Amino acid sequence: MVEEKKKSPNKARDWAFKVAKATLKATLIYLLYFVLSPYIAMLSTLASGFTETIEVFVAVTIVLMILSDLTAKTIYQCFLNAGRAIFTIAYLVFALGDGVLSIALDNFSLTVNLTSLYAIVALLSLLGLAKAMLQAINFMSERAESGLKP
Amino acid sequence: MNVPIRMLGIATTIFWIILVGFIASAAYSMKDLNFGVGEPQFTATSNQDLTLTLPLYIDNRGYYSLKSFNLITVFSDDEGIEISRASTFMAAIPQGENVTILHNVTLCIDSVAERANQYLFKDVNLTCAVTAGLNFAEIVPTQLATNVTFPWGAPFYNFKLGQPKLEAADLTHLAVTVPLSFENHAAFDLAGNIRTKLFDGHDTLLGESQTSINTSKYSSYNGNLEFSIPLTPAVSSTNLSGHFDVYFSTPMFEYGPMVIPYG
Repeated sequence: MVEEKKKSPNKARDWAFKVAKATLKATLIYLLYFVLSPYIAMLSTLASGFTETIEVFVAVTIVLMILSDLTAKTIYQCFLNAGRAIFTIAYLVFALGDGVLSIALDNFSLTVNLTSLYAIVALLSLLGLAKAMLQAINFMSERAESGLKP
Repeated sequence: MNVPIRMLGIATTIFWIILVGFIASAAYSMKDLNFGVGEPQFTATSNQDLTLTLPLYIDNRGYYSLKSFNLITVFSDDEGIEISRASTFMAAIPQGENVTILHNVTLCIDSVAERANQYLFKDVNLTCAVTAGLNFAEIVPTQLATNVTFPWGAPFYNFKLGQPKLEAADLTHLAVTVPLSFENHAAFDLAGNIRTKLFDGHDTLLGESQTSINTSKYSSYNGNLEFSIPLTPAVSSTNLSGHFDVYFSTPMFEYGPMVIPYG
């Protein structure tokens, strides 16, 4: 009884910490997007629909990040982290294709080769995916060692 | 295993921060890049070439240097036949520097005149395919391609020889005066000679005349060709007819004969 009473404020504090962390991270990401949005809008004049695509990416990333922080220290966090990494790679593949961005305007065409950036982002996402998988393995092994259900 | 996972997480986060910082600074740098194109200058060289010099001004106030700047221009006529190709390469435009690049395009007028004499007498529109490429922020190769219509001004636009006017010079010869006019629509000054042969209706050479021309660009020329022809009964008739053979000779090109009938 005494132990349960002690755990309750800890749990509440844990949740408060998780919520605060998730809010802070989401706010920082949104602020970064807010700072960059004029330049994104500038690019949107060259390629229509660019802003909308970025908005979807930022929204999904923030949602997955918040959920991941809220489900910290559970197996769901590993799934959400892996999901976020896979989403980033999938987004890149669908948005950029081969990494060469060609924009045709009135009487000129602009070609931007983003292959190097594409490769770096994909590698970082793969690193995130590897981390999520290691987290999952670690989580399962710790649970198995302590005899708890995952 | 917690420590390696944590380290992996920290390393990934640091790399993401560096990457986002790089993308943000590169995007911000773009607004501090200024490109400008100056007034093209035309220069006629002694070896029958016309050089078009196009000054390009690049002010790189961004955070990154621009590498491998390459400008290619291809001039072609309305049939798509390539007339001239030129390229300018600059290895690096350092950050914070204002650079002027001179892009030189050489047009061999003699070969142009050989292929299509309408360039000498008609204003036409040439197509110029421009391709500019550079390596932005070291790792983002960017290329811009466009087609520009380039007006070609004919150096002998509206070339006309008027009706010959006959006057008795002496008892044996006639003085023939032929008005000559044209407009120099070209972007270069024209200096040279026009040699003209006067033939009658039976293709008999009656006389020859040569006149020097010196016409500035975008100006017109009005003058007379003077012939001295022997007085014969056929020539003295009022309705003289035949043709002129005109030969053009300038330091940039030779062309002729151009046959112009009269009478």
